[in-house]
Amino acid sequence: MSELSLPTVLWTETAAKTPSLVQQFCASAAHAFIIMTRRRRFALAAALTFLPALVPVMESFFGRSVHALMASELFTRLAEKLYIDLLSPLLGLFFATLLIAEDVELRTISYILTRPISRTAWVLGRFAAFLLAAAPILLVSLAITALASGIKRQGFVLSNVNDFWLFCHYAAVQTIALATYGAFALFLGAFSKRPIVYGVLLIYGWQRVAAFVPGVIDFLTIQKYVDGLKPVLATQRNLVSIQTALGTFQREVFAIGAARALVVLGLMVVVFLGASAFSLRRREFGGDKTAGA
Amino acid sequence: MTADASRKPVIEARNLSKWFGEVVALNNVTLSVEPGVTGILGPNGAGKSTFIKLALGLYAPSRGEMRVLGEPPRNNRRVLSRIGWCPEVDHFYDHTTGFEFVYWLCRYWGMSSRAARAAAIEACEMVRITDRMDDPIDEYSKGMRQRIKIAQALALSPELIFLDEPMNGLDPRSREEMYTLIRALGDRGISVIVSSHILYEIERITDNVVLLVGGTLIAQGRVRDIRELIDRYPHTIRVISDQPVQLAKRFAGEPGVYAVETRGEVVTIRTLSPDDCYETLNILAVKAPGWVRAIECADNNLQAVFDYLTKKTVSGV
Repeated sequence: MSELSLPTVLWTETAAKTPSLVQQFCASAAHAFIIMTRRRRFALAAALTFLPALVPVMESFFGRSVHALMASELFTRLAEKLYIDLLSPLLGLFFATLLIAEDVELRTISYILTRPISRTAWVLGRFAAFLLAAAPILLVSLAITALASGIKRQGFVLSNVNDFWLFCHYAAVQTIALATYGAFALFLGAFSKRPIVYGVLLIYGWQRVAAFVPGVIDFLTIQKYVDGLKPVLATQRNLVSIQTALGTFQREVFAIGAARALVVLGLMVVVFLGASAFSLRRREFGGDKTAGA
Repeated sequence: MTADASRKPVIEARNLSKWFGEVVALNNVTLSVEPGVTGILGPNGAGKSTFIKLALGLYAPSRGEMRVLGEPPRNNRRVLSRIGWCPEVDHFYDHTTGFEFVYWLCRYWGMSSRAARAAAIEACEMVRITDRMDDPIDEYSKGMRQRIKIAQALALSPELIFLDEPMNGLDPRSREEMYTLIRALGDRGISVIVSSHILYEIERITDNVVLLVGGTLIAQGRVRDIRELIDRYPHTIRVISDQPVQLAKRFAGEPGVYAVETRGEVVTIRTLSPDDCYETLNILAVKAPGWVRAIECADNNLQAVFDYLTKKTVSGV
C-alpha cells in the first residue's frame, strides 16, 4: 500500500516567522480582491453602476422637452443624486459586507484567526481590496456619464478646465463617500450577522429620517459630511432654506465646511476600521453550534 | 532545544471551563498534554472541538486557564505561528481551487508568494492530491476535502498540529494513509492532537489518550486500558458495500461475530472482536475495493464504556 510521506525537508526555513505588517496587508488585500472579482455579484454590481451613464445618452437622443437640463446641470444632478448619494453607499454595502461578513458566514474566519496575522493588517487589507474593486468601477461610470452629458449639448465638456475640475471634484467626493460607507459596512460585517439589513436600515432609513431634523441628529449621519464636500455650485446649493416637517430652516446655519467634513469622514473611516479590528480580537468565531455558540 | 524543554507540556489546562449561555461545553478540565501524538476521545458533544478551539485561541475560557506551548493562545501570534489546525467541518472559500486554498493560507501565515507556492505544492503532494489541486474545491469529494484541509495545516510546518476528526469521510485506504502520516509526524518530533469518537482510530496512531464525556475529563492515559473496557461490550460496525450479500456471508460465522444484517448496500456487523473485523475489512478494502466502500463505526459501545466510567467516577468506585 502506498503511504503518505513527509517531505525530506520541512518548510520552516521558507516561512517568515515574523511576517511584516506590509506583507500581511498585501496578502489580505490580494486574496480579498481575487475572491471579490470572481463573484457573479461583482459583475452584477458593475453593470448596475454603469446604468446611470445611459441617462444622458437617452436624454440626448430622445429628450424633446424644451425644459431640458443644461449639460452641466444634468451631470451635477446625476453625480450627486445617483453616484454619491445612492451608488456609493450601495456599492459599500454590496462589496464591503462581502468581506469580513462572508468570512464569518463561511467560517473561513477561523483559518485567519489561527494564523499569526495582525487583525488590523487583515482588516486594512480587506478594506483596500474593496476600494480597489469598487472605486474604479464608480469612477469609470462617472467619467462616461460626464462625457455623455456633453453629447449634443453645450456647457459641459471635459476638455474645458473648469468642467474637468468639477468632474475631478465629484470623483474625489464620490471616492471619499465610497471609502466611508465601505468602512461602515465592513464594521457592520464584523459586528453583526446581518450587515446588509442593518446597513440598509441605517443608510437608507436613518439617514433619510435624520435629514428631517437638520442641525440636530443629521450630524450623526455620513450623508451630512459627504454633502459638505460637494461643490458649492451644485444645483441645490441655490436653495438658502430647507423645508422640513418641522418647519423651514436656513441652510447656512447647518452647513459643514469642506475641511471639517473631510476630517470627520477621515475619523469615521479610522474608527470603523479600528472597531472592526477590535471586534475580531474580542469576538469568538469558533461557530460551535452544537455547543450553543 | 534542550531535552527538558522538549518534554515540556505542549498543552496545559487548569480548571478550564467553557460555557455558551446555559450550555456547558467544558467543565473544570485540568490536564497536561506531553509532546508526541495524543488522542482526544469522546462521543459527539463531549467537548473535544471546544477544547481544541480553546487551544487555538478561537474561544476565550469562561473560567480557568489554557496554555499552549507555554503561553495563552488567544490572539497570541507567537503561539499561532507554531501551530496548525485541520477543522472538523468543511470551511472553504467559494470559487477556490485546492492549491489556492493552501497557498493563501500560507500567505496569511507570513510566507512570501514564492515560499507559499512551494509549500502549497509540497503539502498537496504530501496528501496525494497534486493531480486535482488545480480543480475547484466545490468539485472535491469528502475525502479530498479532508485531505486539502490537512494539507493547509501541514504546509505551515508547525510544531503542534490539531486534527479535529481527521478520519471523517476518508475511505479505508485513505484512513490507513492518514494513520501512517500522523505516526510519521510524531516520529519527526511534531506534536499532534487528534480528536475522534472512535477508539480504534486513536489506537492506530497513539497510546496516549484523553477521554472527555459531557465536557468533563474522565480519564487520561493509555489507550490499552480503555480498550480492555471496550472489549467487554458488543461492537457495531456498518459497512457500505457494492456486494453486501457476499460481504455478509464473508463475516457470518467469523469468531466473535454474533450478528450480520444487510439493508440495501449497508451491512451491519455486530461483534465482540472488533479488531479482527477491522483487520479483515482493511484487507478486503485493498484487495476488493467494491466490497468495502466506506466503514462507519457506531459508537454505541464507546458510549457504553463512557457511561460505565462516568458512573464509576460519580459513585467513586
